[in-house]
Amino acid sequence: MTSSQSETTLSPTPFLRFLQLAFEAMRVPILAVLTAMIVGGGVIALAGGNPLAAYIGLLQGAFGSAKALSETTVWATPYMFAGLAVALAFKGGLFNIGAEGQLAFGAVATAWVGYALPARLGMDLPAAVHLPLAIGAGVLVGALWAAIPGALKAYTGAHEVINTIMMNYIALNLVSYLLNGPMKDPNPLNVIARTPLIAETARIPPIVEGLRLHWGFPLALGVAALVWWLLWKTTLGFEIRTVGANMAAARYAGIHVKRVLIITMALSGALAGLAGVIEVTALNYRHELGFSIGYGFDAIAIALLGKTHPAGVILAALLFGAMRNGATRMQFLTQIPVDIISVIQALILLFVAADAIIRFLYRLRVRETRMILTRGWGG
Amino acid sequence: MVRALQASLVIVIVAAFALAACAPGAQAPDCSKPETFCVGLVTDVGKIDDKSFNQSTWEGVKQAEKELGAIVKYIETIDAKDYDKNIASFADEGYDVIVTVGFGLGEATIAAAQKYPKTYFIGVDQFQAWAIDDDKGNDLPNLAGLIFPEDQAGFLVGALAAMMTKTGKIGGVFGTDAVPPVWRFGEGYRAGAKYINPNIEIFIVYHNDVGFDKTFTDPEWGAATANSMVDKGADVIFGGGGKTGNGAVIATAQRGQYAIGVDTDQYYTLPEAAPRLLTSAMKLLTPGTFELIKAAKDAQQGKGTFPAGNYLGKVGYAPFHDLDKEVPAEVKTKMESIYQMVLNGTLQTNVPPAKP
Repeated sequence: MTSSQSETTLSPTPFLRFLQLAFEAMRVPILAVLTAMIVGGGVIALAGGNPLAAYIGLLQGAFGSAKALSETTVWATPYMFAGLAVALAFKGGLFNIGAEGQLAFGAVATAWVGYALPARLGMDLPAAVHLPLAIGAGVLVGALWAAIPGALKAYTGAHEVINTIMMNYIALNLVSYLLNGPMKDPNPLNVIARTPLIAETARIPPIVEGLRLHWGFPLALGVAALVWWLLWKTTLGFEIRTVGANMAAARYAGIHVKRVLIITMALSGALAGLAGVIEVTALNYRHELGFSIGYGFDAIAIALLGKTHPAGVILAALLFGAMRNGATRMQFLTQIPVDIISVIQALILLFVAADAIIRFLYRLRVRETRMILTRGWGG
Repeated sequence: MVRALQASLVIVIVAAFALAACAPGAQAPDCSKPETFCVGLVTDVGKIDDKSFNQSTWEGVKQAEKELGAIVKYIETIDAKDYDKNIASFADEGYDVIVTVGFGLGEATIAAAQKYPKTYFIGVDQFQAWAIDDDKGNDLPNLAGLIFPEDQAGFLVGALAAMMTKTGKIGGVFGTDAVPPVWRFGEGYRAGAKYINPNIEIFIVYHNDVGFDKTFTDPEWGAATANSMVDKGADVIFGGGGKTGNGAVIATAQRGQYAIGVDTDQYYTLPEAAPRLLTSAMKLLTPGTFELIKAAKDAQQGKGTFPAGNYLGKVGYAPFHDLDKEVPAEVKTKMESIYQMVLNGTLQTNVPPAKP
């Protein structure tokens, strides 16, 4: 796409140029969020609620106290990992809809290592061994599970969209079977599909006693930086982006495309697995069917809203986390159904995906090149 | 730069608007004051207007609003990890009574009752194991689990089924009998039918052949089982056990036979079955919830003691709705007298609490 640079020119100073570009990259998402809030306010008003009271409640619930902030990070953390997973795959030209299944498998693998491994080995493991094993298991399982559709794509051309969706069903039903059957908490009073609690040695402690804010949050920020470094500062990252941009050109340039496709999916799955791992080791200390439903799907919206850039994903995940968390307070104060949050999130996504609407509404010009998400069939 | 300025301007205007709106703030009643009596409800993962557990319980809370002058609010849970947070939303605001709906919230409710000893907690459909053990150290004077004698509910609809059948054959399709409430529904149904007609032919099938994940979520199996019972001549079928039971109820209704629902009045939750839904074996959540809220208020004012532990609610059978004309007057009278006898204990179901 040609850029129209008639009105603004880039500053020669690198720092200013960075700010300018960051602003331009973010203006559509920001305006999309604002527009969605305004339209959402209209929906609230139509439903007989007071939009301002609702948004005040939302803000209070998301940021109004130390506890509220802490809960926002609790919600945002899995969104960050899963959003990074989907964004990384997008960079490689792959649409990973399977984050939900990869996340669930990661959580189950970690939970098993957390509660069952010491007994199987017949000895207590020190935290320095147990915790890395638990984390590693979930990450590895997530990566392997995602590598399967990656390999199918590389060697048979089977489209990853279909395969990751299908593998979600396999994963979620298998996890449901495991939690109801072999891995179910054997306490005779337990009727809930969930694993036993993981050992103390497999837990990540909270940062501040009394709040649920945990080390998974700073870890997510670190991993986002790592993903950025991988994508833009390493040979592998260059290969991933090149395959994502143009597979034929990448092949012509001597890149082993099949290998890169599989690695991209595996890395994406590892990140999605990590989302589940952190929920188990740092928050819930077990896996349960009612936990973490839908992060993998929300992650697609977050990756798109964040324009598949790690920094954007972090911001989008914080936004979604704040909205989900603040929704409770909103409902508490105004008795407006929490579903309105889903409506607003869907509107945001709509405006980001169909950015022509936003560009028309606010008369924005285009500079940035088109974002590459995924190729069509058989690409 | 003009365009960018325009965009920024929009942002600034909207932000200013939002900030200005923040100034007045919402005036919520102060629940921490002794003169205000506040009741909060936390749903299981699901909606407040589910026409089932959440809604029936909420109606009990609304009754407290009307009759006790309570200030009432609810929070819908969207993710199981928020149970604690949602309960705390009420407790931290000084709510006097917090109602939690469904066994999924059982542990979170116990934990909250320990953390907030001055708040009364009502756990709907939550069996309190600590109340029946010998350990007094784990007792919670501020927590009551509202549970129900499912065998009595099953007994009522079993008696009705036995009176309404023309073929002398009735059926029951249930989730696994390893879950005691399900087993009590099924065996109560059997006992009620035998009470009317000791020679009646009863087909009762529990979905024990699959795992826990499937036993309550298998409408196809429920429908197939109900269909095979209809093929064998059953003309009244009771379906109990989540979606599995719903499948049986719908299939029975679609075959034109009498279907019987479970837990709440399924006339409203299963529109496909409504025209042929004879009744439902109901747990009366609304009065049970209200009674416990009232008990909490009385206890707070020193007028009585809160019934901590397991509080046995009442059961009933739902109205006949569309089929009211098909139920003979003498059957209605007989059902009323059976109901009274079951309630006052002169008629025992003789169903043990769990499968022996």
